[in-house]
Amino acid sequence: MDLLCHVRDFVLAAAEGAGEAAKHGEGAAREAALGVQAFKRVGYLWLIPFFPMVGAIVNAVVGARLQKRFGKSVVTNLAIGAMAAAFVTAAVAFVDLVGQPEHERLLVNHLWNMFTAGDVQANLTFALDPLSMMMVLIITFIGALIHVYSVGYMAEDPDTWRFFAYLNLFVFSMLLLVMGDNFVLMFFGWEGVGLCSYLLIGFWYKDIDKAKAAVKAFVTNRIGDFGFVLGLFLLFWALGGQWEKRSVIPPHESRWALADPAHLYEARAEAGTTYVADPTLSPQTPPATYAEVEKLATPEGWRPGASIATRDGGKVRVGPTLSFRELRDQIAVESTGVKNRLTGLTFFGMPLLALVGILLFVGATAKSAQIPLYVWLPDAMAGPTPVSALIHAATMVTAGVYMVARLNFLFALSTTAMTVIACTGAATALFAASIGFVQNDIKKVLAYSTVSQLGFMFIGVGVGAYWAGTYHLLTHAFFKACLFLGSGSVILGCHHEQDMRKMGGLKKYMPLTEKTYLYACIAISGFPLANGFFSKDEILWKAFDAGNNLADPALGKVIWLVGWVTALGTAFYMWRSYYLTFTGEYRGGHGAHESGDAHGHHGGLPHESPRSMTWVLAALAVGCFLTIFLGLWGPAGVEPVLERWLEPVLAPSHALVAARGAHEGPLAEWLLMAASVAVAFGGWAAARALYKDAKSTVPATLAAKYPRLHRWVLDKYYVDEAYRKTVLAAIWAGAKACDLFDRVVVDGAVNAAAAVGRFVCDVDGAIDKYLVDGAVNFVADGALGFGRALRRVQTGRLEHYLYAAVAGALAVVLLTFLVQ
Amino acid sequence: MLPVPLPHTLALAAVLFCLGMVGVMVRRNALVVFMCVELMLNAANLTFLAFAQAHGDTTGHVSAFFVIAVAAAEASVGLAIVIAVFRSRGTVNLEELKTMKH
Amino acid sequence: MLPVLNNADSLAYFWPEMILTAGAMGVFLFDLAVAKSPRRILWLTVASLGVLAAAALATSHVAGLSPTPIGLFNGLLVLDPWAVFFKYLSWAVTALAILIAGPSLEVASERMGEYCALLLAVAVGMSLMASSTDMLMMVIGVELVSMVSYALAGFKKHDRKSSEAALKYVVYGGVASGMMLFGMSYLYGLLGTTNLVGTAARMNAQAAMLAQAGVAASVAGAGRVAMVVAVVLVLSGVGYKIASVPWHMWCPDVYEGAPTPFTAFLSVGPKAAGFALAVRILYGAMSVSGGADLATAVADVPWPQVVGVIAGLTMTVGNFAALNQTNLKRMLAYSSIAHAGYILMGVAAASETGSQSVALYLVVYLFMNLGAFLVVGIVGRLSGSESIFEYRGLSARAPFAAVAFAVFLFSLTGLPPLAGFVGKFHLFKALVDRGGSWQITLAIVGLLNSAVSLYYYARIVKAMFLDKPHTEERIAVPASYNLLLGALVGLVLVFGVYFDGLRQLAGSSVVLFGHS
Repeated sequence: MDLLCHVRDFVLAAAEGAGEAAKHGEGAAREAALGVQAFKRVGYLWLIPFFPMVGAIVNAVVGARLQKRFGKSVVTNLAIGAMAAAFVTAAVAFVDLVGQPEHERLLVNHLWNMFTAGDVQANLTFALDPLSMMMVLIITFIGALIHVYSVGYMAEDPDTWRFFAYLNLFVFSMLLLVMGDNFVLMFFGWEGVGLCSYLLIGFWYKDIDKAKAAVKAFVTNRIGDFGFVLGLFLLFWALGGQWEKRSVIPPHESRWALADPAHLYEARAEAGTTYVADPTLSPQTPPATYAEVEKLATPEGWRPGASIATRDGGKVRVGPTLSFRELRDQIAVESTGVKNRLTGLTFFGMPLLALVGILLFVGATAKSAQIPLYVWLPDAMAGPTPVSALIHAATMVTAGVYMVARLNFLFALSTTAMTVIACTGAATALFAASIGFVQNDIKKVLAYSTVSQLGFMFIGVGVGAYWAGTYHLLTHAFFKACLFLGSGSVILGCHHEQDMRKMGGLKKYMPLTEKTYLYACIAISGFPLANGFFSKDEILWKAFDAGNNLADPALGKVIWLVGWVTALGTAFYMWRSYYLTFTGEYRGGHGAHESGDAHGHHGGLPHESPRSMTWVLAALAVGCFLTIFLGLWGPAGVEPVLERWLEPVLAPSHALVAARGAHEGPLAEWLLMAASVAVAFGGWAAARALYKDAKSTVPATLAAKYPRLHRWVLDKYYVDEAYRKTVLAAIWAGAKACDLFDRVVVDGAVNAAAAVGRFVCDVDGAIDKYLVDGAVNFVADGALGFGRALRRVQTGRLEHYLYAAVAGALAVVLLTFLVQ
Repeated sequence: MLPVPLPHTLALAAVLFCLGMVGVMVRRNALVVFMCVELMLNAANLTFLAFAQAHGDTTGHVSAFFVIAVAAAEASVGLAIVIAVFRSRGTVNLEELKTMKH
Repeated sequence: MLPVLNNADSLAYFWPEMILTAGAMGVFLFDLAVAKSPRRILWLTVASLGVLAAAALATSHVAGLSPTPIGLFNGLLVLDPWAVFFKYLSWAVTALAILIAGPSLEVASERMGEYCALLLAVAVGMSLMASSTDMLMMVIGVELVSMVSYALAGFKKHDRKSSEAALKYVVYGGVASGMMLFGMSYLYGLLGTTNLVGTAARMNAQAAMLAQAGVAASVAGAGRVAMVVAVVLVLSGVGYKIASVPWHMWCPDVYEGAPTPFTAFLSVGPKAAGFALAVRILYGAMSVSGGADLATAVADVPWPQVVGVIAGLTMTVGNFAALNQTNLKRMLAYSSIAHAGYILMGVAAASETGSQSVALYLVVYLFMNLGAFLVVGIVGRLSGSESIFEYRGLSARAPFAAVAFAVFLFSLTGLPPLAGFVGKFHLFKALVDRGGSWQITLAIVGLLNSAVSLYYYARIVKAMFLDKPHTEERIAVPASYNLLLGALVGLVLVFGVYFDGLRQLAGSSVVLFGHS
């Protein structure tokens, strides 16, 4: 694999000014490749989230009335139509994107500036690059399929309009998340999908347990969001951002001082790691136009959003920014000096990039259900199965992976962060897989399977194999959706029965469901016959080859081992679920009603689901097959389609990751591949032995022999209970303390202040009433008295008037002489 | 004919003026009051004439004509008003005309 | 030097007055013609207004004839911007007075013709007063105005109060004109001429002559006394016309007794003409230019200080006596005495801005005072009552009139953003700009007086809006009164904000005797 990377670099460099490469060597060649991201402005990207938004609004506002008057088909067709329209537009964008030259694959649709506050500029801008294009296609396509599926699944439910409104709203939020050009839009989408997840999990809100599950999901997500936002703030601040404008910056504090010959910021080795400085990160690399940098370091010359001209002529806007593209440009283009600064910065002694990476990952932990914030995902199975498929398998939970892949250039700079991500992913994968061994609810099995597979994805992006993690995201979307929808079909067919112990022998009742479920199991367990193998194997190989990308070179091997064991476990419990559900005899009675609404259901035997549902299953299974080719390696020298496709997005981190890798040879690669296949077989064989036709008594015996262990795993290691006793108890205690404080201290102070105020007012009132009013009234009375006196002068008698006139004239004469 | 010295005329005029003034202030009958007003105006006339003679300027004489005309007009208007008052009040006693006061 | 025309040539500049004189007589005859018509009031009003309009046109024509001031009739009159300004003012006041008189029931329908004709005659007199440069012409003007005013004050022949008012007016006026004439005669003697042009030079020459070494002290003293007494006597006549202390005592009785439309006219018209005259005599004639736009008084007659003291006394007496009044007309009479005091502040400033503020204030005063009396007329029209008791709850009985009255009253107090504030502000400003301790003191007295005046003005507003009326019956207000009220309120409001044009007009009019 590494050989291929080097070859590719050379090819690229040759394609883009090889003369430079020859003269300046590999470093320059890499730098020439990492220019400013070129993009194309388009005007239609906003339509993609627009259609689902319109669908959501219409269904929310008038959906109930439409459904009552015209029936459910209007509502569902509207929602599906919106999805179709979004998909078509996405397809058009895809064609447009493909038509661009490889390193200019970025479509940008800027609508308007939402607000600007100091350095913070929040724009309503949509962008599609290869990564987000892939996500958009997944979301719209699989989303559309699941909408179609939901028509059949929710046929008996009266609140169809609400369901489809929420579904459309969810798709809208998810599209915002992946299409957002900046952190703000992504965060809007991030929060939006959290909200929709809450709405959809708690769709049957009248059941208190389901409502509680919804709240749990939402609250857990919020905790993660807090970390995410902290990371964002930290990053923004590190870039030199402030919430207010600076007026004067001393030159040595200017962010421009970075690319300075005085080496004020040197790349420091991160404590506790064997970080090898990347030669291109040398502070000796001067900026292309230092004069410009110098000017910008002066108070008069400084202005926000100033750019630096790079050696290859592009312009980079350097400084605090929320836009991904600008962030990428700043870090990827060496001459800005931003990478140097960021890698050199520490925050209270901790390396800043590690901190940022970890905090952002905390957000991903909640959204993508990793340890310690995965606890909401199993409970989220309380929602309708299509919801579980769409949100908790295919799209929302992948948001964390998407975020890490999007910010690959940032994460790659900090091996600490990468280590944390990879190790967390590995631990989660193993942990969740172990729980899946003994679950009896089919949806719970799939939920823990999701958590486990997400762990895999994070292993992938943690060790720097971003394309592998993303590929696993893609394949997982297909096979997990297929599995979930299959389970939904099973549940519906068994009259809302979810316990696998009460299923069995469904092969003959639901053939199509069984076939698609089988194929999806093949995919997830990692047989080379389906797409899961290719993605999982790539991840494991890259983990093995991680080398210095992680804190310890040996860590990569350990992670591989963990992943390998998890793959074994995955195969085992997935095949367990298959055999328990579809083989043997049907063990169920008249189905227990699972949903909150009681509705009359015919007969006791399972039945196949309607065509709208089975066709979706088939389509997804076909997708599982077809997506093999995205990740299939070609003849020597040609990399998989998806890797090539995602190359422009991952280019900034690629060289760094590759350089730090362990550079294991191709032999190791083939050996590991064989091990993966072996483990897939092994798990399948074990499951088949234990659970086929539910004949074997081994599971029961084992369970009887180790009852406590069994109980412990079955009850998810009592993690939820532990949380309740520790974290939640602490929070509630804190809340009670605050309440007490508020009632006694704060209210007491306020009341005391009020009493003082009242006293002062009383004194004031008295002063006003007696002194002030007294004085005023005295003056007024005096004036009135004087007036009355004057009135009396006017006697009404003419002779008096004339006396006055004459006397007055005399007085004036005297006055004149007095004045002189 | 011996010219009358200026101070004498002036003194006479001043005395007439003061008499008229005092009369206006003291007398109660409206008609008598008007007569006193005429007295004051005549005093002014006399002064005008005295000065005219002293300056040798005819303006004073002209002024005297003006004043006479004005006095006549005033008298006529005043008497008409006195009649009106008498009609509505039945008296021309100034002391009793104090309906409007303060 | 002021170019002077002889009698024949002057006639070309005398058109407005001639038109008015002829018009007055014409209205008399017209009155006979329309004697039987049921709408004779309308006809007469139209005819009189037509005459006034013609006079106004003639004024503009005449003013355009001679851009620089020009003496008429061998020095008796002058046509300068000051005169022209006050001519316009006079026509406006007369026109409004005629409009008010029409629907008023105090002027009997069959006597409307006389009323209009007499008002036109007063207008002539006011115009003569404003443009006179000779003491004799002053007398003519003052007497013309006075005589006709006596008659008009007693217009309600059988009304006791009206005839009493007229009698008091005529006696008082007679005494005042007697004093004025006596003073003028002495001035003629001292100065050698009745012409006002060059008075300052002559007075100064006189004072200089008396101050010469060779003159005996008693002679000098006597001469000074004579000068001062003469001037004071002349000023007493003017003071009577503007109703300033100590020659104000006729004012409340006459205002109360006269028919309300005429009181309205009386409170503005002759007062304005009197002020025109006062400024002409004091600022124009009896002062020499003292640099910038200030003037210094002639020797022996320090009239600014004296006028300042009179102003202070006038405001105080007017405001404080009004505090306890219950009769609206009497109260407004005292109020107009107080306003005379304010305007005298502008005269006492003895500067160009002072005279400008006098002119400005008189225009503003015209609107607000006429408006106030109009409302008094509306309320008293059918009820015959002028007591404040009748004004209780007026906002329910005649809302528009009540609101308009409130606007006028607040404007009279001098509250922004009404025109009254603008006028008062300019008066105070002129005084304060002059500097000096007594000017500042006078300004402070003026401010305190304005504050005091708020009491009695606001008392009426309170009665109108906060008290219950003694009857629920709506007051019938003729349409023309409503229109007039609306126009006056509009003018008060507009001039409260857009007063720059007015100020410039007033400023440009301060050209007396050919110099400002």
